[in-house]
Amino acid sequence: MSHISLYLLGGVALWVLGLHALMTQRNALRRIMAVNVMGSGTFMVMVALAARMTPIDPVLQALVVTGLVVAASATAFALRLATTESPVADVDRERE
Amino acid sequence: MITTWTTLLPPAIVLSSLLPGLLIFSLREDQTRLRIGLNLFAVILKLGLVGLMLRGVGQGLEFRFALPFLPGGDLVLHGDATSLQFVSLSAVLWLATTVYAIGYLQDSPLQSRFFGYFSLCVSATVGLALAGNLVTFLLFYELLTLATFPLLVHRGTKKALKAGRIYLAHTLGGGALLLMGVALLHSLTGSPEFQAGGYVELLADAHQPSLMVAFALMIAGLGVKAALIPLHGWLPEAMVAPAPVSALLHAVAVVKAGAFGIIRVVYDVYGVDQVQALGLAMPLLAVAAATIIYGSLKALQQQELKKRLAYSTVSQVSYITLGVALVGPIAGVAALAHLVHQGLMKVTLFYCAGNFAETLGIHHIQEMNGVGRRMPLTMAAFTLGALGMIGIPPTAGFISKWYLGLGALEVGQDWILLILVVSGLLNAAYFLPLIYRGWFCGPPRQWPDERSLGSGLPGAGETHWMLLAPVLFTTVLALLAGLLAGSEVSPLAWSQLIINRQFGL
Amino acid sequence: MSAALLSLTIPLATAMLLLLFRTRAGTVVIVANTASLVAAMLALDAVMTGAREQLSLGNWDAPLGIRFELGPLTAVLLVFTALIHLLVTIYAQASRHSKTRDTDFWPLSCLLHASLAALWLSRDLFNWYITLELLGLTAVAMIIISGPRSHLPALRYLLLSLAASLCYLLGVAFLYGRYGVLDIRMLAEVVVDDPGTRLAMLLLTLGLMLKAALWPLHQWLPAAHAAAPTAVSALLSALVVKGPLFILWMVWSTLAEPGFARQAGVLFAFAGIAALVSGGWAALRTPWLKVLVAYSTVAQLGYALLALGLLLYWQDPEMSIALWLFVLAHGLAKVSMFLGAGEMQATLGSRRVSALKGASQTMPLAMFAFAVAGGSLIGLPPSGGFIAKWVLLQPLLVEPSHWPWALGVLLGTLASAGYVFRVVTIAFNRADPSSPGHDPDTAAQWLAMLPALIVWAMALLSEPLILWFQEVGL
Repeated sequence: MSHISLYLLGGVALWVLGLHALMTQRNALRRIMAVNVMGSGTFMVMVALAARMTPIDPVLQALVVTGLVVAASATAFALRLATTESPVADVDRERE
Repeated sequence: MITTWTTLLPPAIVLSSLLPGLLIFSLREDQTRLRIGLNLFAVILKLGLVGLMLRGVGQGLEFRFALPFLPGGDLVLHGDATSLQFVSLSAVLWLATTVYAIGYLQDSPLQSRFFGYFSLCVSATVGLALAGNLVTFLLFYELLTLATFPLLVHRGTKKALKAGRIYLAHTLGGGALLLMGVALLHSLTGSPEFQAGGYVELLADAHQPSLMVAFALMIAGLGVKAALIPLHGWLPEAMVAPAPVSALLHAVAVVKAGAFGIIRVVYDVYGVDQVQALGLAMPLLAVAAATIIYGSLKALQQQELKKRLAYSTVSQVSYITLGVALVGPIAGVAALAHLVHQGLMKVTLFYCAGNFAETLGIHHIQEMNGVGRRMPLTMAAFTLGALGMIGIPPTAGFISKWYLGLGALEVGQDWILLILVVSGLLNAAYFLPLIYRGWFCGPPRQWPDERSLGSGLPGAGETHWMLLAPVLFTTVLALLAGLLAGSEVSPLAWSQLIINRQFGL
Repeated sequence: MSAALLSLTIPLATAMLLLLFRTRAGTVVIVANTASLVAAMLALDAVMTGAREQLSLGNWDAPLGIRFELGPLTAVLLVFTALIHLLVTIYAQASRHSKTRDTDFWPLSCLLHASLAALWLSRDLFNWYITLELLGLTAVAMIIISGPRSHLPALRYLLLSLAASLCYLLGVAFLYGRYGVLDIRMLAEVVVDDPGTRLAMLLLTLGLMLKAALWPLHQWLPAAHAAAPTAVSALLSALVVKGPLFILWMVWSTLAEPGFARQAGVLFAFAGIAALVSGGWAALRTPWLKVLVAYSTVAQLGYALLALGLLLYWQDPEMSIALWLFVLAHGLAKVSMFLGAGEMQATLGSRRVSALKGASQTMPLAMFAFAVAGGSLIGLPPSGGFIAKWVLLQPLLVEPSHWPWALGVLLGTLASAGYVFRVVTIAFNRADPSSPGHDPDTAAQWLAMLPALIVWAMALLSEPLILWFQEVGL
């Protein structure tokens, strides 16, 4: 069972790492990557939890697949948003 | 619920000004005639309906309307003797003030907005008077705040907006306190209908602290509008409003709503016995007495006419609270009668101040020299109103003070007489100089800002007739209230009736 | 149940059709919305006469299948969602200033409606995750309709929303790993109070609070909601943040052991009061009109949080009623407020609060809508907000030891009065009225007022609702 615990811990570590990066990084690309690292961590935890049983729990694996789809599409969306030319600063130009 | 005319009359009285008010909002500025027509139609309709109700109550009919609103607290409109006292006052003064406002606001912009809110304000006042339980009262009390604010800031100047902010800070804060008090009481008993002698007696043993806190919260909330110190700060500021608004504010709508609420809470929610037993009467009495003296002292220091009148209101309205807080039958009669008397006299004084300002540009007290020669009728009305405020027989103000004094002696609070005497002297000190200046000082060569509103000659043409007629009308009413105090139709007699039921006499 | 499903599938199908035929016709959406509203009302009617209904999608039972449940609250929320969506779409179609014509607003708002309806119906932790993600993605997509300027706040919102979802998902994974079920009712039967469960609950809570912009995780909301087009802002504030709140309420009220719930309840309640005060203060200070309205959402969510906290602290189901009344009243009032603010902003040509000088003359209807909606937010009678506050106050006041909490409500009332009347007072300033850049749009202003009138009418209709909730529970 120890290798499963290892995966579990690894997953949690990845999740924390991703969260830390998301909070400290300012660059859009890095933050998107950080969210993905968090996602990988979560999925790793779920796969590790599934592997504890024999036969392997199909529900959790199905959930991971669904989660992966969501994560992939959200990342694509975020990348699209991050790469558009955004205005220099969000200032009101009407009055000043 | 069977719907008959007796159930529909109370909401009809509220709606008779609400619906025309909403219609008036939709009118264009130039539809003057339609607006005036609608206004007058609503006024007369309301007077008629109130008259109908007065007759009905005289015959012993029950007027009650209820809608489901909150669990344990319906929306109840109920025409009983106490509410009719206030409703009649509002309806009559609304008539006078509408005529006055039409004359006063001629050719000024945004009249549809003004008269729209004006009607809403009266609807809220009448609703508040007819409210049959605390929840309903609270509802109209808050609506009144909302409806008066636009009137107060109608001129839209910096000063008006500042007054508006102060007004809102006070009244919304007060409203929140009242809400807390009402909700607290509701959580204990629900909100049954007002009844003479109150409905909290059964709770007195188990929930004494809660009852005391609820009373304090409600009185604080109501005290804001009734301008009890230290919550009176908004009232002197509010005099920047146009004269008809000030008149309505000081005589019926806002300050009276507070005073009326205090009457309801003491008589019909707690009942005099419980107020006495919980030891709540004495603090209220002390605050009222302090307010009377403080208001008079401050009035003496004011050099602006309207401001002096405003502080005088602070003082005069507290007579009502004082009478209630004495928890004796005679003082109660005085309080209820003064609700009407003060309204009639104060509305007259504010109309007069408005006439002086509009016709001659008089705002300060020094400028009043000799105004009696140029505007004798207005000045005569002013004089009668002022004498009434001082309490000189046989004016209505004298009746109030006389009964207050008797009431104080009856319950053994002799020191109140001292308060009455001091306040009477102070009233004389700040009103008599005005009367003297008006009649006996020589007029200036030129008035500050004279406008040709009437023929310009002293007498019937001294100002626009729509400004003059309401003044004379309310003066006559105030005089009659004093002269005919012994008759059966006077406010005093009606108050006697209410109090007899309250004290089971 | 079939009516409820119809209320969910009609907007979903409409969204698909709009995308398929590459059309952006608003009228189609309005018609579909009306149908969805009727279906939701039929569902509500069915619940009122009958009992709760269950449905297993595709006849797969839990744990593998997806279970939908239609209870009183879900039925009311379905009606609420359809009504708000309908009101907003009518405005978006009719107003000259809505900036949403012929855009992706139409299919997206339908998707939003469908995912929210699915959220109300679901009773399964993972299913909620999916609906949350759908909700978040459509919300972000709708924000960027207003142009490249909104991309920055939209990206921030998206990233935070994703992080929150992952936080939630990790919590779900822990719970599943521990108990092997995802269905909330089945979970409630087996759950025990141990550190692992507490950690999982904490993760769920953090994720949901971030998504619902509950204090202190609200910082993303004002920028995101203010950047969106007016109609979208209204939907976001009125509906989107309520989804995670629903899950949070469900999770805590069914899964938490009383002891743990009491501890957490105090924290929630304090966070609620902090939200009321700090949100109100921020709304008082900001120079931008829409940011003011957005901060007011943060503050108003404080009431919901306070109700949730006290619900857990005292285990008093009455508080749930207060919570959901707040949600209903706030949703309607906030739609009016955003639409009114948006109309004024577009007509007067400035996004500043100070530009509203004289708006009571130049745009009386929109200003009136704003003020009337504000009245409900303050909780003035007879509005929906007043009823909610009243229901919240009753249990607070009956015991003297509970009175300090009432002080929090008082503070919230005063703070909201402060920011609402800040705007109203400026509107009555006649000294220097800003003249409208172009004609005000009267019809659109009436449409902005409509939700506010409904929320005031709600005051007269809510007694049966409260009694019904008290009788059958949520």
